[in-house]
Amino acid sequence: MDLSLFLDNLWNARMSLLAGFGNTLLISLVAVILGSGLGVLVGLALSYGNLATRFVLRVYTDFLRGTPVFVLILACFYVLSVVGVDLSAFQAGVLALTLFCSSHVGEIIRGALAAIPKGQTEAAKSIGLTFGQTFASVLLPQALRQILPTWVNTATEIVKASTLLSIIGVVELLLATQQVISRTYLSLEFYFFAGFVYWLLNFLIEQAGRAVERRVSIPQ
Amino acid sequence: MTPLKTLFAGLAMTALGAGAVQAQDGSKLQEVLDRGHLILGTGSTNPPWHFIDQENKLTGFDVDMGRLVAKALFGDPDKIEYVQQSSDARIPNLVTDKVDLTCQFMTVTAERAQQVEFTIPYYREGVGLLLMANGDYADYDALKAAGSDVTVAVLQNVYAEEMVHAALPQATVDQYDSVDLMYQALNSGRAEAAATDQSALRWFMVQNPGRYTDAGYGWNPQSYSCAIKPGDQRWLNFVNTVLHEAMTGVEFPFYSDSFAKWFGTELENPQIGFPVEYK
Repeated sequence: MDLSLFLDNLWNARMSLLAGFGNTLLISLVAVILGSGLGVLVGLALSYGNLATRFVLRVYTDFLRGTPVFVLILACFYVLSVVGVDLSAFQAGVLALTLFCSSHVGEIIRGALAAIPKGQTEAAKSIGLTFGQTFASVLLPQALRQILPTWVNTATEIVKASTLLSIIGVVELLLATQQVISRTYLSLEFYFFAGFVYWLLNFLIEQAGRAVERRVSIPQ
Repeated sequence: MTPLKTLFAGLAMTALGAGAVQAQDGSKLQEVLDRGHLILGTGSTNPPWHFIDQENKLTGFDVDMGRLVAKALFGDPDKIEYVQQSSDARIPNLVTDKVDLTCQFMTVTAERAQQVEFTIPYYREGVGLLLMANGDYADYDALKAAGSDVTVAVLQNVYAEEMVHAALPQATVDQYDSVDLMYQALNSGRAEAAATDQSALRWFMVQNPGRYTDAGYGWNPQSYSCAIKPGDQRWLNFVNTVLHEAMTGVEFPFYSDSFAKWFGTELENPQIGFPVEYK
């Protein structure tokens, strides 16, 4: 492996790789934020909604969680354009990842709320707290601690899933890397580099998650 | 069909079955003119056809074909919005109206012609043999005469051996995983020739002037055409006219400049007088 040749090419391609990395960040960030917002609603409705709501959302989360992200992306891009919703590749990709993220976050939240013993809600009721108060002061603080590790995990999954958007032509880090490889023929070097960048990004996300976990954990 | 292709094709068929967004009355030609720019579908990872250059710009021979069409539409070859698509997305993006036109080294086959409409071809691809300029063998005849002494490097492929033996029946075939390894085998003398697409071979020679030579034999012909969504004769005729005149008429300098840039060959002017088409 000719290191100086690789570094030369890396320097030459820095702008396009940076732009690709920027896209990866933007896609992941938007998908995680929107997906988590939507997921919280899904999780709450799954826990406290009436039978019909719960049934509909159960189908929604199970369908999305049981479908490969890849198929979801193609569906958002091609099938939606048939029904007249003409999204750009970027929008379709972000939508697919947002839906995927929301189904996972919804399930995480439902699980965290279900793990809190029923006795606590009953105790809160008996001292006269409304549902809103119970949720905000009793359930949420405990659920959040449960949610955090799995939620961080979902965020890293989304970063990795964003590579699939290259298939519909969104120039994120992977496609930008492939473009450089096609010009320079340095496949091994540049794939290794891209792999390292993805790993680094996810490592930082996990470290940030751990730091927050430490801050909010109950002192033993 | 690879599973990926099947998936794409399936989605495209779903799109067709559901009665994909129909083009408005009238032709795509008018729609594009009204919009003010052409939406061109092409790839971004295959030089010299379509790739991102050092200046981070999409460029290549396919891109130049699209620029010819934009120039014909608006008098400005830059009035293009590029949709960078994978090869598998070529047909789905046409039938779902994501692009007006696809120029992406698309091999004309009867099977594909049932799903999209092809323009006239703008290039004839084939396999060629790349040699070292100062190597032991000067051309195809010398390679053929050497029989099994010759080792040919080729990109790994189910039909690779068969393909090489169609031209050099006795040659030893070494298969490689990637293009760079194949060229390395040639450079290091582990192979006397590399068999690859004529276009890739030409482009490699353009990038390394004087180092390599073409054995001068081509086989496995296939036509490359642009494609449009079926059912729009007006638009098809327009693009055909543009490509035809690029290869034989007023835009010949544009076409031949591009050809020389990507394939390193100066084309001769079309014969003046009796139209070359009827020769």
